[in-house]
Amino acid sequence: MKKLLITLSAVVLTLQLGAQTLGGGQVTGNFQIDAQFSRQDSAIGAEDVPQKMLSNVFANLLYTNGGFSAGVRFESYLDPILGFNSQYKGAGIANKFMSYQNDMFEITAGNFYDQYGNGLIFRSYEDRNLGLDNAMMGVNVKFRPVDGVIIKSMVGKQRYYWDYGKGLVRGIDGEFSLNSLIKNFEESKTRVTLGAGFVSKYEEDQTILSPIEGYKLNLPLNVGAGAFRMDLAHGNWGLQAEYAIKSQDPNALNNYIYKNGNALFVSASYSQKGLGINLQAKRIDNMGFKSERTSTGEMLYINYIPAMSKQHTYALMALYPAITQVNGEMGIQADVTYSIKKDTWLGGKYGTTLKLNYSQIMSIDKQPLEGYTTIGEKGTDGYTSDFFKVGDELYYQDFNMEISKKLSKKSKLALTYAYIAFNPVMENEHGDIHYNNVVVADYTYKMNSKNVLRGELQWLKSNIEYFDEDKRSGDWLMALVEWNFTSAFFLSVSDQYNYNGSKEHYYNVSVGYTHNTTRLQIGYGKQRRGLLCIGGVCREVPASNGLMVSLTSSF
Amino acid sequence: MKKLLVSAFALFLSIGMFAQETKSFPTLPENVSVKTLDGKTVQTSTFNNDGKPYILSFWATWCKPCLRELNTIKEVYEDWQEETGVKIIAVSIDDARGASRVKPLVNGSGWEYEVYIDQNQDLKRAMNVVNVPHTFIINGKGEVVWQHTSFVEGSEEELIELVRKVMNGEDISESK
Repeated sequence: MKKLLITLSAVVLTLQLGAQTLGGGQVTGNFQIDAQFSRQDSAIGAEDVPQKMLSNVFANLLYTNGGFSAGVRFESYLDPILGFNSQYKGAGIANKFMSYQNDMFEITAGNFYDQYGNGLIFRSYEDRNLGLDNAMMGVNVKFRPVDGVIIKSMVGKQRYYWDYGKGLVRGIDGEFSLNSLIKNFEESKTRVTLGAGFVSKYEEDQTILSPIEGYKLNLPLNVGAGAFRMDLAHGNWGLQAEYAIKSQDPNALNNYIYKNGNALFVSASYSQKGLGINLQAKRIDNMGFKSERTSTGEMLYINYIPAMSKQHTYALMALYPAITQVNGEMGIQADVTYSIKKDTWLGGKYGTTLKLNYSQIMSIDKQPLEGYTTIGEKGTDGYTSDFFKVGDELYYQDFNMEISKKLSKKSKLALTYAYIAFNPVMENEHGDIHYNNVVVADYTYKMNSKNVLRGELQWLKSNIEYFDEDKRSGDWLMALVEWNFTSAFFLSVSDQYNYNGSKEHYYNVSVGYTHNTTRLQIGYGKQRRGLLCIGGVCREVPASNGLMVSLTSSF
Repeated sequence: MKKLLVSAFALFLSIGMFAQETKSFPTLPENVSVKTLDGKTVQTSTFNNDGKPYILSFWATWCKPCLRELNTIKEVYEDWQEETGVKIIAVSIDDARGASRVKPLVNGSGWEYEVYIDQNQDLKRAMNVVNVPHTFIINGKGEVVWQHTSFVEGSEEELIELVRKVMNGEDISESK
């Protein structure tokens, strides 16, 4: 408690000080306070909150002086707001580090975040609004011996709420820009960057019983994963690829099978002024890589495999998001941005922007091992899989298009349509695939230089009748009106109505005030239970009904 | 150990109070690595606009207000550059899910900004960015003289007005 007080007063002091210089260095920071006053509402499944008030607080302090920097992050969850794991309950210094860097090397001791390539074998990151933080605690070294070469190496353990995971994680990665390394290639229009990384996890032995009675599984204490990547750019063209493999890693995610894992990610793009095209493909096979073999859930992931679909931000379009299947999936995505020129028939006076996006995610082909009838049996090699054969189960499909247009000096309109197929298997649920059509109109009207009105109308039509187990099911209508007085103040009123289903209204009123980097937002209303997706990661948020106060600031 | 660290920090801070100078601005972090759209790693120390101020804006492909901000400024960017010589550096915080869509989106939208990708969010953390959009004005000396989070139509006029003031050597740190 005393510790807490000291920390709090330190935080308060700094806040009063603002960005300061001290001894030639400077102190900066940021904080975020989220407080929730929730009422029970059985109609939407909001649980009773006996504490009446819940709050999450983050305060970051960063001191830099030349090449030296140090930082601490205070966190408190007293008690955690709805949707955060109860293991977060508590308060204290959650993150601390010291770092020194010059042109050639950088060393960080304490907590650090880093990633190798796209993160297929290693990515340590945080997303505080999702309650995700797998910060490493250990040492990270980066070395730049010559221009164009970066060698990184690290060792540490991963954060697990207020504790650390059991596994020890070690890694090394190198990235080489050929343009900087090869003479005469420096000024070339073709840019080539190559990289390779290796990560290994050590975890003590433990008893996991084999299905054959009386035997315990012979667990590998060290699990390794390696990846190779390249990034080619030639004028308007670009090609990126990364391939990763993982050694035998029987764990709770893959039902303790001994099959090696692998992942491939390829992205090609062409773009010129007014036109951008991106094509992506990926294949994931048994790539759940965690620092504790018995861990399930969202914490302790050593690697990061993003969903291959567009991240929607309109509420009803984001109702059924794609969820990465680390045990196996194959996906493709195509994305086009096209600006139609001004003063043309389609472009009108101000030009029009057109965006098209298509993604499809399928299962991978899995066949039982010789002599077995089932797939993925514990203690075996699991299954065989033909690399190029697409599985026959559809996980996710999304076709969406957006036309946005400035109508006049004062008004803008964006129309979006999406067709989304969602297989509940992605959430480990059974049931038929949901096929949804979603339409959104987003209109902005600038009354004068200070007042801006914005309105959204959204409609979701599903093929699935409403059923109680999934409060998202059925058809939805949503309306939102937002008034902005400069960028300082806003008021928004919205309602989501499950008109063909539970008949529930999810209304919300929010006001916000922003002064430079300080933002206060107060919202009152109902939050639908469902997945909340920020930055490509999804987390289940329970329903809540009440008041939410949020304050963020940085200095 | 924890206690010691905390106390050390409290001490640091109180020293800071006494050492307080009349007016000082934090400077842009120098040694943070970001990537160009061609995959080249560069240090933030290379960010500059030949002694003139520039605007540093954090955004993401999935952030609607960010896209509105950058699209709105696109329409006036040529005029801004002609009048003030200001430059916009747009830093995407997209992770692997969106990073490969950044270049096609930037070109397809016809943005003429200097764009970088901060995939590991090192710069975002170093500059204490909590939410996007978050926009900074950096003066010719590399000092952060103003910052703001959120965007609505019309904010771009306030932004360029502030840039004009910075060019005239006015102090804008108290401006909203």
